[in-house]
Amino acid sequence: MSPKGLDAALVEAAQAGSTSAFARLVERHQQPVRAFLRRACGDWALADDLAQETFLAAWSRIGALKSGDSVRAWLCGIGYRKHLTAIRSAGRERARAQAWEAEKPPPSGAMSDERLTLEAAMSELPLDQRACVALCLAADFSHAEAAEALGLPLGTVKSHVTRGRARLLQALGGSDDGC
Amino acid sequence: MTDAEDRLRALFAEDAPPARDPAFSTAVMERIARRRFLGEVALLSSFTLAGGSVLWAVGPSLAPTLAELSLGVTPLVGCLMLALTALAMLDRRIVKALGLES
Repeated sequence: MSPKGLDAALVEAAQAGSTSAFARLVERHQQPVRAFLRRACGDWALADDLAQETFLAAWSRIGALKSGDSVRAWLCGIGYRKHLTAIRSAGRERARAQAWEAEKPPPSGAMSDERLTLEAAMSELPLDQRACVALCLAADFSHAEAAEALGLPLGTVKSHVTRGRARLLQALGGSDDGC
Repeated sequence: MTDAEDRLRALFAEDAPPARDPAFSTAVMERIARRRFLGEVALLSSFTLAGGSVLWAVGPSLAPTLAELSLGVTPLVGCLMLALTALAMLDRRIVKALGLES
């Protein structure tokens, strides 16, 4: 069975009330959802909390997921809205900046400087631009899939990805030759 | 795919969570189970409360009828309970000894 077919079967079973099917969905999609939220928030602990909240909300709303919809895009969309809600709440934005520094893993290997630079550059991107970059450049989402997940127009996603990539490459000391 | 995108993707991939994380999945499913349990408790509590309220409201008017009915039904219920107890106690060995086994 193809991954999409397996997702469809699991969603159907979960919609019928199967918690084991939903557990398989969690297992299959926790990585992209958590990775997206880590890159969107910068705060790994907050990202994992939001990922858990995302799956809880997904369980409550699984009936709303239409057949053929992308499960990961749907989940990332829920996660993104939870992230927006979290940073709107008092104190979260301030804490995020501090946690960004506190939560990142210790630098290791030859790539650590580049990673630090990348994380710093990501934190300076506007929220929606960062989310587009996290989905399209880091997680192999198509522009259309990212637009569906984030609820943004396709053209906006494309321009966010182009501008975000240019800023990240500029920070890394490279040139943006991929436009 | 360009070299620049490959480079960025490689950097992003370094801090990706593991593909399988049983601790995370278990934590999510535990929270879901807890939420379902609390939902079921709330539902059952509301049914119990509603049922109790109805009984409290209609109890005084039904009490004489129920008391009268119970007097007539008590002997029948007693006989039935005795019969069921006897059946439960008569295991296969006794049935065999009495030659009642078919």
